[in-house]
Amino acid sequence: MMNLIILLAVVVAAGAVLSVQAAINGRLGETVGVLRSSLLTFVVGAVSTGLLILFFEPAHAVSLLDVPKWQLSGALFGVVYMMVMVGAVPRVGAAVATVAVIVGQLGMGMLIDNFGWLGNPAIELSGSRILAMVCLGLALVFMYRSSTRQA
Amino acid sequence: MQSASIDIAVKPAIKPGLRLMLLPLVILAGMGLSVEAGLLGPLGVQVGHLWATLSIFGVGSAILFLLLLFSGRQKGPAFGELPRWQLIGGFLGPMYVVVLTLATPHIGIAMTMIAILSGQVGKSVLIDHFGWFGATRKKVNFERWLALLLIVAALVLIARG
Repeated sequence: MMNLIILLAVVVAAGAVLSVQAAINGRLGETVGVLRSSLLTFVVGAVSTGLLILFFEPAHAVSLLDVPKWQLSGALFGVVYMMVMVGAVPRVGAAVATVAVIVGQLGMGMLIDNFGWLGNPAIELSGSRILAMVCLGLALVFMYRSSTRQA
Repeated sequence: MQSASIDIAVKPAIKPGLRLMLLPLVILAGMGLSVEAGLLGPLGVQVGHLWATLSIFGVGSAILFLLLLFSGRQKGPAFGELPRWQLIGGFLGPMYVVVLTLATPHIGIAMTMIAILSGQVGKSVLIDHFGWFGATRKKVNFERWLALLLIVAALVLIARG
């Protein structure tokens, strides 16, 4: 239980970090274009992760080259996401696009969890999980309303 | 620059039909993000969390490099002419991906996404309210506080299982 709370706190902090990154990259994308700002983010990310691996990562019995190839396809989804957003945000608006992304994320997340797809441990849909989703849905409604009023 | 970004954010949809066609595509893109997280967790368990993170950034870099190479000359200043702080976004991305690979095997993908979202919302509400990081202090309206409260409630529900 204690571990779970610490883990949740770390993930919440990661969300905060992500939104700081989005703010910085948004500014960068405006000046140099989305492709170049994304490339910069990915290259810096790859280089810094490589350095960390070199000095801190313990050896593993299995390497990236040994796992089934489909397990390496994660980055493709990220790149497709980026391109869809670049095309869609100016046309449907940032708020609507954000809500649509979250709906897709959570819906798919629940499916993967419930059925244990892609080699994940199956976590059955419980009453409290559904209630958590309802809370989140309401939160999105309020955020959407406050953002449209400000605009 | 400020006004340009606002223009993009609030530009209304030109054709309602086009907008309806785009929405399923955006939802699919969001589903892709969960698939990405779903791939990362088991991969991290097998090869190590940092290696899994490297797979994302390495493959992403390679694809973007090729896209950029074939899309011709880009406008805007060279990276060397930009203010340094705008380049640090690249260090923040890996933190997020490492946490994804660490967390999903334990709390599941949907719940990881909710926690991430609460961090994003919480950060923006708190920064606006207290004026942290040199942001101008803004009054956060009642609805955004309510949204934050609901997200925290969702987190508590997850923690209780």
